[in-house]
Amino acid sequence: MHTNVGWLALVLAGTAGAQDGAAPARETLLVRAEHVIVAPGRVLDAAQVLVRDGRIVAVGQDLEAPAGARVLEGRWVCAGFIDPWSALGMAADGLAELNATAATRSIDGFDPFSLDHLRREALRAGVTSARVQLGAQARIGGLGAVVRLVPGLGRDEAVVAEHSNLWMSAGLSLPTGMQFVETPDGFQMVSGNRAQDPFDRVESVDRIVSALQAGRNYLIAQNEHRHELEDWKKKIAEKEAELEKESKKAKKDREKAQKDAEEKGKPFEEKKYKEDKKPATPRFDEDNEVIARAVDGRLPLLIAAEREAEIRALLAGTASHGRLRLVLAGGSEAVHHATELAERRIPVLVWPAPLGRGRPDELEAHDLSLAGRLSGAGVRVLLGSGGRDPSATRDLPLLAGLAVAHGLPSAKAFEALTLGAARALDVADRLGTVEAGKDADLLILDGPPLASTTNVRFTISSGRVVVTPEN
Amino acid sequence: MTILPKPAAAAAGLLVATVCLAPEASAGDGRLVIKVGRIVTNAGPDIENGTIVIEGGRIRSVGKDAESRWDAEVLDHPELVAFPGWVEAHSMRGMDRPNENIEVAPFLDVRDSIDPISFYFEDCLRQGVLAINVQQGPLCAVGAQGRVVKPFGLTIEEMTLRPASGIKISTTRPGRSRALQAQSVRRAFRDLRTHLEKLVQDKKDGRDTARREALFQGRDPDTADNKKGRAMEGSAPWKVKDFEIVPRGHVDEKQEPLLRLVEGKLMAFVSCDGAVAVVQALEIARENGFLANTVLVLDGDAWKAADRIAEAGVPVVLSPQLLYTERDPITGKEIETFVPGVFREKKVRFALQSLNPSSQSLWFQAATCVGYGIPRDEAIAAATKVPADILRLGDRLGTIEKGKDGNILLLSGDPLAVTTNVQYVVLDGNLVYDRSKDRRVMQILEGVEQPNAAPIGTDDAEDVDPHSGEKKTKTPKKD
Repeated sequence: MHTNVGWLALVLAGTAGAQDGAAPARETLLVRAEHVIVAPGRVLDAAQVLVRDGRIVAVGQDLEAPAGARVLEGRWVCAGFIDPWSALGMAADGLAELNATAATRSIDGFDPFSLDHLRREALRAGVTSARVQLGAQARIGGLGAVVRLVPGLGRDEAVVAEHSNLWMSAGLSLPTGMQFVETPDGFQMVSGNRAQDPFDRVESVDRIVSALQAGRNYLIAQNEHRHELEDWKKKIAEKEAELEKESKKAKKDREKAQKDAEEKGKPFEEKKYKEDKKPATPRFDEDNEVIARAVDGRLPLLIAAEREAEIRALLAGTASHGRLRLVLAGGSEAVHHATELAERRIPVLVWPAPLGRGRPDELEAHDLSLAGRLSGAGVRVLLGSGGRDPSATRDLPLLAGLAVAHGLPSAKAFEALTLGAARALDVADRLGTVEAGKDADLLILDGPPLASTTNVRFTISSGRVVVTPEN
Repeated sequence: MTILPKPAAAAAGLLVATVCLAPEASAGDGRLVIKVGRIVTNAGPDIENGTIVIEGGRIRSVGKDAESRWDAEVLDHPELVAFPGWVEAHSMRGMDRPNENIEVAPFLDVRDSIDPISFYFEDCLRQGVLAINVQQGPLCAVGAQGRVVKPFGLTIEEMTLRPASGIKISTTRPGRSRALQAQSVRRAFRDLRTHLEKLVQDKKDGRDTARREALFQGRDPDTADNKKGRAMEGSAPWKVKDFEIVPRGHVDEKQEPLLRLVEGKLMAFVSCDGAVAVVQALEIARENGFLANTVLVLDGDAWKAADRIAEAGVPVVLSPQLLYTERDPITGKEIETFVPGVFREKKVRFALQSLNPSSQSLWFQAATCVGYGIPRDEAIAAATKVPADILRLGDRLGTIEKGKDGNILLLSGDPLAVTTNVQYVVLDGNLVYDRSKDRRVMQILEGVEQPNAAPIGTDDAEDVDPHSGEKKTKTPKKD
């Protein structure tokens, strides 16, 4: 309880002066609930969750509280929500960065000391972690990161994935379309108009496709070099063994040649030695190194594109990269390509924004039924808060509710906020479900998740109780 | 950074200025006896009516009845207070221009940019700042090597107290996002590593080929141990294996200063304009093993990362702005934080930095600290002993003790009092400043004309040579 009092005092005292180390301590917890959503579609009734050292140790129906454990109770328990498209914690200059390259790291633009009050609001709403991304409008926005939203965490704990994805965008105008408006919540990016010039739009897709091709060529060159080097090493080793074997003979030959030269009065000349040149190492390129990882399927690639033309061109341009793990972000006109998206298992990260949130393609994109229609067509849907406005992450559960109201099955929406997002960003080994071994990011609710009447009673992030009914 | 050819007139002006400032800079061998009413030694209690004996430029003895040779010069001022000089831990002034266009340039040296006749140094002397660490400005990723100088001397060599005081690194650059800047800094260290690894690999490959050639030609393969260099030192988590086979001379001279930084032989002054920048700076320092030789130069809300700085154990140089003001986002209330207080509480060693020699000189910064509740000795130390230690000159500067450099200020009163003036400055045992003969001060206080200034009230001031005071002869226009 003591920690809660401190927490409360801090909130009252105002957040701006808050320093490092404000997070409440990690505790051993036993969470009891009428329903525990272990994973999307799997509910355990009258169950308990045991948390120790920031991780979920056990989930079962007959767990007892260990000595000294704090017991928390609620009706529903589920995994903390993940916002896969957030701006919370990114400095404005990072969001607006147009000169980013593939190797630019969002985590380097992440400010863990800012906007504490917004983080707390997001935690109250049940959003425990988020993907942050710099260069929201850059053709190539660099490496995104998944971070926890608890203020005052140390770096190791705050960062779930330093490099969660690569980010690119197509079809936005550069660079005039970018403006920030100061708001009480820091700032908001209000525009980023769609490019009107068709050449601009073609060019932006072209850039992405050729960047991927360059990455693939880089990868091929690296692999080829590895093989060549192996071959060369083998050959040279054989040659050396042979030279070793014949070294006595070579010595005799040399002595003889020296004698001959002396007798004939000619200067002695060494025999010319020749060998295959060692294959040159391909030039290291930090950007292609990252793109190669994406092309090889080791790093998810998120591409923002809104309109049909860009989406069509992107789908065509990426079809030859079989290993690419593409996620389409935005996708306001993605319905036209739902079949292909479903076939190629490309998830669409939807921002179910009501009109007036200043997004590009404002008029087309405010159609809140997008998520439902895509899902109905068999496309995997993810939900995010748009990556422009730091305060929007708090609204993620509301946005999900809007999508549900407009046709997205509730179960799909819940999955999108938990396991779906975790899988898309390669953090499913740590986040997204309530299973033993995962990070203890839990919500304790007084009703089913995403219902408008449901309140978050407790929010737990890596074993720290960061929201309680009292604060 | 290249020295611009100074017009001959400037040199002439300098001579005049020097004569004005140092009328008695005559004790060539630095043998001097100073008798004052009070010595603030900064290393224990003050000494009333004490004597300081300086010989060979160093303090030989301090005490109530210190003895000296009969032929020593004597400064006998029972009305004055002796004080060790102030030490500026970090300054971007005194150069022809503080920043460079090259992003990564550790091979540059502020030596080539420092302007000995800069008004800044003259003012430092007047304010009693006797050691200044001149560093490149923050518009770089990895910048030039700095230099600790005295504010007196005709050439940079004469002024130098310690060359290569440290490399400037900047984790923030105006007009550029943090992430791109961090990328640039990291890239500099990765390039260094790639370069060193390639040197080793090339050397090995060459050796192997030579061995095969020898075998082929029937010669004895060269078995001599050709370790010509030294293994990589320092505590970086990355090490270049077998680096000892490369003679040190083969390292690219443009990369070499960074290698010395990684090996812990050179310091880094890392500019951080905020708390995030601190996190990044510490991360990069850890990644490359130079945390132990890092000094953070702070600005903005960097104090919010005080816990992490304390944990890392690095000293800091504080922004001249000692009060940090922000607004609570919910209540709109203004919150003021006294920055030195935060670091004192977290037990972080901090040095003060001045903003402008006249309005916020080091004594003023220290006095402000006392005003906000920091104990007097700690406040003074933050502008003397601590910066001296940070610059690794702790055995020479910062206190009046036996063996230290013969640098003494003779003050008209308490070192932190607003009414106090620097009356005399003794540097390395030489009297280099006498306020009663400081022409600029005389001009302000008594209206005495400076010999190198335009006569007051001249209408055509621009026609007067600013150095000689003579009227320029107009060259007739040729048609």
